[in-house]
Amino acid sequence: MKRKLVAAIGVAGMMVGIAACGSDDGGSGGKSSGDGKSVTVWVMDGSAPDDWMAGVNKEFEAKHPGVKVKVEKQQWNGIQEKLTTALSEDTPPDVVELGNTQTAGYAVTGGLADLTDDKADLGYDGWNKGMVPAAELDGKLYAAPWYAASRAVVYDKKIFKKAGVKPPKTRDEWVAGLEKIKKSDSKIQPLYLPGQSWYVYAGFVWDEGGDLAARDGEQWKGALSSPEAASAMNFYKKLQSFSTAPKDKDEATPQQSTDIVPKGGVASWIGLGWEAGGAIAAIEKAGDKADFGYFPIPGKTADKPGSVFLGGSNLAVAERSQNKDLAKEWLALAAGKDQMAKYAKATAGALLPNNDAAQFEPEAGSFAEAMAKSASVGEVTPVTPGWANVETEQPDQGLHDEGPEGRGRQEGR
Amino acid sequence: MSNVSSDLRAPRRNRRPVRPSAIGKNLLALALAAVFLFPVYWMFSSSLKPQSEILSKDPVFLFTPTLGNYTKATGVDLFWTYVLNSVTVTVGAVFLALVVALAASFAIARMKFRGRKGLVLAVMMAQMAPWEVMVIVMYLIARDGDMLNSIPLLTAIYFVMVLPFTIWTLRGFIAAVPVELEEAALIDGCNRGQAFIKVVFPLLAPGLMSTSLFGFITAWNEFAMVLILNKDKEAQTLTLWLTQFQTAFGSDWGATMAASSLFALPVLVVFLFLQRRAVGGMTAGAVKG
Amino acid sequence: MTVHSQGVAASALEDAPGKAAGKSQTPPPASGSRKVPQPPRGRGRRALPAGLIPYLLLAPAVVSGAVLLLYPLVRNLILSFQEVGRRELITRETVWAGFANYTDLLTDSEFWAVAVRSLLFTAANVVLIMGIGSLIGILLNRLGKKMRLVLSVALVTAWAMPIVASVTVFKWLFDEQFGIANWIMRTLGVSGYEQHNWFETGMATLTIVTVLVVWGSIPFVALNMYAGLTTIGNELYEAARMDGATGWQTFWAVVFPSLKPFFLITTFLEIIWVFKAFTQVYAMNAGGPDRESETLPVFAYIEGQGQFHYGVAAAVSVLTIVMLVAIMSFYFRLILKQEEEQ
Repeated sequence: MKRKLVAAIGVAGMMVGIAACGSDDGGSGGKSSGDGKSVTVWVMDGSAPDDWMAGVNKEFEAKHPGVKVKVEKQQWNGIQEKLTTALSEDTPPDVVELGNTQTAGYAVTGGLADLTDDKADLGYDGWNKGMVPAAELDGKLYAAPWYAASRAVVYDKKIFKKAGVKPPKTRDEWVAGLEKIKKSDSKIQPLYLPGQSWYVYAGFVWDEGGDLAARDGEQWKGALSSPEAASAMNFYKKLQSFSTAPKDKDEATPQQSTDIVPKGGVASWIGLGWEAGGAIAAIEKAGDKADFGYFPIPGKTADKPGSVFLGGSNLAVAERSQNKDLAKEWLALAAGKDQMAKYAKATAGALLPNNDAAQFEPEAGSFAEAMAKSASVGEVTPVTPGWANVETEQPDQGLHDEGPEGRGRQEGR
Repeated sequence: MSNVSSDLRAPRRNRRPVRPSAIGKNLLALALAAVFLFPVYWMFSSSLKPQSEILSKDPVFLFTPTLGNYTKATGVDLFWTYVLNSVTVTVGAVFLALVVALAASFAIARMKFRGRKGLVLAVMMAQMAPWEVMVIVMYLIARDGDMLNSIPLLTAIYFVMVLPFTIWTLRGFIAAVPVELEEAALIDGCNRGQAFIKVVFPLLAPGLMSTSLFGFITAWNEFAMVLILNKDKEAQTLTLWLTQFQTAFGSDWGATMAASSLFALPVLVVFLFLQRRAVGGMTAGAVKG
Repeated sequence: MTVHSQGVAASALEDAPGKAAGKSQTPPPASGSRKVPQPPRGRGRRALPAGLIPYLLLAPAVVSGAVLLLYPLVRNLILSFQEVGRRELITRETVWAGFANYTDLLTDSEFWAVAVRSLLFTAANVVLIMGIGSLIGILLNRLGKKMRLVLSVALVTAWAMPIVASVTVFKWLFDEQFGIANWIMRTLGVSGYEQHNWFETGMATLTIVTVLVVWGSIPFVALNMYAGLTTIGNELYEAARMDGATGWQTFWAVVFPSLKPFFLITTFLEIIWVFKAFTQVYAMNAGGPDRESETLPVFAYIEGQGQFHYGVAAAVSVLTIVMLVAIMSFYFRLILKQEEEQ
């Protein structure tokens, strides 16, 4: 399940309709046909607003007459299997979106084109420094960062007001507030937090100064038995005591945003922008009105918000692409500053663009605003080629299932 | 349990008007019918519920039905392409399997030849083929042979998936047709082919139906192969359509269940239509081994 | 054996042109052949040497089996001696691993745990399926016409439900927060089911999977059992009754011997089907928690597609086949013996 989560991070699901693929002919990907060549782009469902994508392609096709861009939307479900095999084919998609934690895993397979020499064209120097490491491996560049996002706490303003609780600034305030809500109404769940919300837990570990895995020479080793991890676990458990959510499930089973929150009785929960959007949509569909407020996950002290996992996506070029040069040019355009500024605008700031200069000033009181506050303390999981395996949908191998409530066996590979 | 089997003693009695002991039997049958129907009913009723009532702390039995989920499920892009592909692949595989198996099972059931025993063994072993874990090998073969996204290849794979069972079952049927019937036709001047077509074939109807049912279900439900082999949406089938309402952003359970109900419908219709013959058929085939 | 096969033949012919069925035991009189339009005269055999015909008839089946099953199996075997990860898949390099995949597996206690679990899972399921299925088959035979129709329609409907859908529904039924199972327990006043987790351990998960598999497999057995029972003549029961046999004795003396081939084949098929069951196990809880509900096919899938150890997965599948063949050798012998008798 984690794969989906990472993947889904930062997706502006609320604004992006499930629209048809942009492809205008049905042929299989990537083949150059007739006089014109084509560039096939695989983006994940929910990553790119349709209008923005259309704008990028229009500009690109104007620059390269006769070239067609085909956008194929992919589902996160089963994507690693699909991508792995696709990259091995003679006519793979030319440009692919990869989760930022998965990029290194694909880079070592030789499936991604080395972009080190194209740094200047891609605008490397302007990129957000926090996002770059996830696009590199052993000093070489394999992808362009695209966007990132992190979690924030979503709360029901009415319930908070009724219990007399204000958005907290520190962990202590947070817990005290939850306590207050619990006392005010026993039917209400102060915080919905399943036992396996792994990326929430990761933030707590970073808050303690620990990490998920430590590099030990060539190998990565799990570091979850460290004292830092243990105290993070204690805090996690404390929060979890305010929830009746299942202990062995993550936030996607059942989907907290659409299956849990709309049913009411949840005072607050930790989620991503698209989750908040999904919950609002579901509530409105049921004929109600959502009244959500947002605050960054509180840190230990008021001056620094809690650390958050910075999930997101990169864009890479397939090594076997038949049109590598065109693909690189498309990439430079789409991930370039101008288009990224439009992108940030199109997603209303819910996603952080790869370039700080392209950042969009989010609306006051929005999820994006709360998220932007903690962006400074965003971190990415260790960049290790084995991480993609860890995220693949499989139950307890490696770090991924070392959920906060999990057992101690793991190895970062 | 024991009273069920003790009834065996007097098989004819139950043809008589209802007696007290029959009430217990009927109640048991009703309870069993409920158990078997419930998940199906739940799928179907969920497909008619609005999203908010599908998952609920206390199950919702009364609700205002909506067809919204069905409109959504069938309104998907390329829906009819998937339908066409599924039908092509399934019907193609079943038809091929029947024709090829008919010839083979006739030979096995009626002719003496060297290697017959080995062949029977091979047919049995072929049923054990672990197709799910052979996906990657099939993928490599298809990729290197430039046959990805191919409906004919998918049809061929499904055909081989159902072939062993089809041969096995049909063989039982052919063996069950008295040789004398055929001989009579031969005496009448038919050649063996004619004798087969005129005499044996008509008697195989139930067998053909039961095996095609099995093949139909197998091919109709197949998921793993088509997922990896056919990435091109134009070459995908309904099983992939079934899963597309469960995304990382939340599952549309209503649409999933509507799609499942529609997906089950052809099988159900075929089943109920063929049930009487098919069921008798399965056994005859199976029993003859 | 002959007795039952005739009986079955009759049942198979039930829906065929009535005349033929009635006459199945005796060579049809000349009049029977009137039904056959007059063919060109001359004694049947064609010019082809008789010895070749069976091979010609078998050729399409054998060729397609060889190309689409045997060849992939061989490739699978070759793959199991290679190291194939994502890098090798994408770069199309061949890296030989010798027996490493096998030695790794065979020395891995996890693999053995999975293998034993698979066997137990299969045994439990097959016993339940055959037991309950047969009893329901007997019940069908004892029911009046209407009730029989009701029950068989229910069975058929369950049988026709797509597996993917049935797994989803079962997951709901046993869901921790929204499940009907917990609701029923709560309604019945049993405490501790406010939020009972039915998938807490591998064992618990496999129990639910068993419920699903048994539910889905019973119709096949029950309906076939019923069809088989209809082929047993009443005289046999009558005779047994005259001899003063009890119900149980009747079953062993009359029903079981008559249906022995049915039990033989159905059990054989069920063993294979349950052993290979993938979707039900995987989709229920993805082999979790903690990989505790993995059976061999799920293990192979997770190693291969999940972990990208395609070589290891191939080795698992080879070992799976070897195991199945070993388990089934008993059956092969029985069935081949039956073959000789014919």
